[in-house]
Amino acid sequence: MTKRVTTISPTWCPGCGNFAILGAIKAALDQLGIKPHQAAFVYDVGCSGNMADFVFAYGFHALHGRGLPPAAGIKLANHRLKVFVIIGDGGAYGEGAGHFLQLCRSNHDVTVLAHDNFLYSLTTGQKSPTTPKGQATPSTPNGTIDEPFNPLATALTNSAAFVARGFAGDIPHLTKLLVAAAKHPGFSLIDVLQPCPTYNKSRPYAWYREHVEYLDKLGHDPTSLEAAWKASLKTDKLPLGIFYQVARTPWHENFALLKNTTLKDSPIDNLDITAALDEFK
Amino acid sequence: MAFLNWKIAGAAGEGIKISGLMLQKTAFRSGFFTYGSTEYPSLIRGGHNTFEVIISTKPVQSARTRVDLLVDLKTSTIASLPFPLSDLAKESGNLLTKNTVALGGSCALLALDLTILKQVITETFGSKDQSIIDQNHQAAQLGFDYALKNYPDKKLKLDTPKKPHQDKIMICGNEALALGAVAGGMKFYCAYPMTPSTPILHYLAANAQKLNLVVNHAEDEIGVINMAIGAGFAGVRSMVATSGGGFSLMVEGLGLAGGTETPLVIILGMRPGPASGMPTWSGQGDLLFAINAAQDEFPRIVLAPGDPEEAFDLAAKAQNLAEKYQLPVIILSDKNMGEGYYTSQRPPDKYKNRRYSLAPEAAESDQPFPRYLVTDTGISPRPLPGQPGGVHLANSYEHDELGYATEISAERVKQMNKRLKKLETILGGGDLIAPQLFGPKSAKTTLVSWGSNKGAIVDALPQLPDINYLHFSWMWPFPEKQFKALISHNPRLVTIEGNATAQLAKLIAQQTGIIIKDKILKYDGRRFYPEEIIEAVKKL
Repeated sequence: MTKRVTTISPTWCPGCGNFAILGAIKAALDQLGIKPHQAAFVYDVGCSGNMADFVFAYGFHALHGRGLPPAAGIKLANHRLKVFVIIGDGGAYGEGAGHFLQLCRSNHDVTVLAHDNFLYSLTTGQKSPTTPKGQATPSTPNGTIDEPFNPLATALTNSAAFVARGFAGDIPHLTKLLVAAAKHPGFSLIDVLQPCPTYNKSRPYAWYREHVEYLDKLGHDPTSLEAAWKASLKTDKLPLGIFYQVARTPWHENFALLKNTTLKDSPIDNLDITAALDEFK
Repeated sequence: MAFLNWKIAGAAGEGIKISGLMLQKTAFRSGFFTYGSTEYPSLIRGGHNTFEVIISTKPVQSARTRVDLLVDLKTSTIASLPFPLSDLAKESGNLLTKNTVALGGSCALLALDLTILKQVITETFGSKDQSIIDQNHQAAQLGFDYALKNYPDKKLKLDTPKKPHQDKIMICGNEALALGAVAGGMKFYCAYPMTPSTPILHYLAANAQKLNLVVNHAEDEIGVINMAIGAGFAGVRSMVATSGGGFSLMVEGLGLAGGTETPLVIILGMRPGPASGMPTWSGQGDLLFAINAAQDEFPRIVLAPGDPEEAFDLAAKAQNLAEKYQLPVIILSDKNMGEGYYTSQRPPDKYKNRRYSLAPEAAESDQPFPRYLVTDTGISPRPLPGQPGGVHLANSYEHDELGYATEISAERVKQMNKRLKKLETILGGGDLIAPQLFGPKSAKTTLVSWGSNKGAIVDALPQLPDINYLHFSWMWPFPEKQFKALISHNPRLVTIEGNATAQLAKLIAQQTGIIIKDKILKYDGRRFYPEEIIEAVKKL
């Protein structure tokens, strides 16, 4: 069996959704047959990002909110790697929202697992961009004033080519989504509904089980942008599955230079700039 | 005369810069040494733009306050002589050739060869219709003939150079920084536009395919630096460029490069601040910022080239230093150097770069690679993602030798010491560049300066007897030993800086205990002129 985790024990709270997401990652890597040295994981800062110490693969533990740009840089440098981003709702949709839009639009070939627990949990439970309006948190004791951010609709509006939602309470389904996302050439977003038993008491596993529904059982057509939008705007039920998937050229494939080599292996030991210098004669 | 200053002035949008560059190129191709510089406000139409060219039979690398021949598009005069620029342009068939008429007229008054100007016109408008080139040729001819016919006795008596240059190029600092980085093996350039570093982005974007690189205009400066760090982590030599405001946004990323020990080159093109400051003007107010910007302490290298020749060399070297020592290298530039066009030594055509500090190939392993192994030099072998046997975590959190997060006091101290050890390794190794001495070795007075002031000071030096100049291009880690050796005869020290608080003098005081009392400081956004340096030094 391929080693997928380190010897360090996870530091997450009992019942944390991150355990399940890590399980799905392990299963997906096995199914995809990716060896530890063939994958690069970028971790944002947050409870989810603490996964950095637990996964056995190349890893880069980035700054808070800045997990996405390094992932794009890694994929550019070596497009033969499978690149994953482990990030929370705060990092992806708050601090790093500009980067999120950019990766959707540029179609950098990375798979983003947004651990969406509707709170900032590592900083003890303040509101996040996805916190439902009115919810009291330590930074909003009288209830949040803001309307919540809609990650899926935002991704769809900004030309993301693979948009999905998973649930930490359904590991086999999440694994399937991860495999599909990793196989998809180009940017893929999986927003993962993640219970936080410590700080988000209003949404335990049972609450999610009552509120999720499966798109594939509803006859959803993932090639229809209109259907995807409709599904992304639902609030009474939270649909799970692939909302939308379309073929678009991944960012790095726009560069002829990368057809036969990776950028990291592009030779630097025999450079000739005669022609460039001649322009200054 | 051996030397004169030609200047063209008009509104933004009138093609002042391109005209100035064509005149400069004509003089350069004729064998003159030239220095071209431009002043312009931060707007697209209107205002007041200028481009001036020093034309000299001897090496020159700075501007002068006195103008010998002014082309004024507003009053339609050349050297205060009425010149029917619009009428002659109309005659050429294209009213937009007004500037070219003026260039033709200037050529006549400067006794420059019109055929060289016509060749430069052909190259400049090469991508446009032949009719545009023909009209401009005609305009240049009309201006040339008009000047000869109407002002035959107004010719300036400029010495002629002995022969055309063989080994020189006409290049600005930004272009030299860009090409130097390419020569040093840079494969990824990422930027967000910000004056005065934007021309680097334009040059590299226009030439990316020919030069075999990837250029990306990213969403913001934070995305810029973090994407470049990702590419650096995965083994690609990467560079970003910005100005003080953008660099401020990048500082958290700078710490990330420092903590994860990821190679990265950052060009910081300084301009007057704070905040948006004076975007299109020059300054040297970011020296201590570049050296100290950080969350906590980590090693970095800070360089400050004084002209395109140094810019090219240091940009190439920076790529190698960043990879060798696994740290961020900051290159301080500014508008004066970046947008100054110099007659520069042509660098070599070919470059054989080697890779540094990478881990050797290995078999697959199920053990993590000790990415942050404590070593004598502070440098730990670095496997690249994709490499079998090299699996590791590069960590922005404090980490142990394996890269895993730690808060254990002994591990923390070990890693801090390991990283900081690199500064000692650099200071004790052969990469460091000592301050460069110009003028007599044991002069009574030593001018101390850095970066783009070099040109004006070197040009002032012949008129300052018993005074020499120490030029710093390597700012950090501070070359204390080398500096002290150069001033061992105890000269009177004078610092010359483009900031309000003498930051180099502060740095010298901090590192050596030597207090420099005499200061010539300028922070109005303008360049130093040799004349004002001479005057200021004489007044001391």
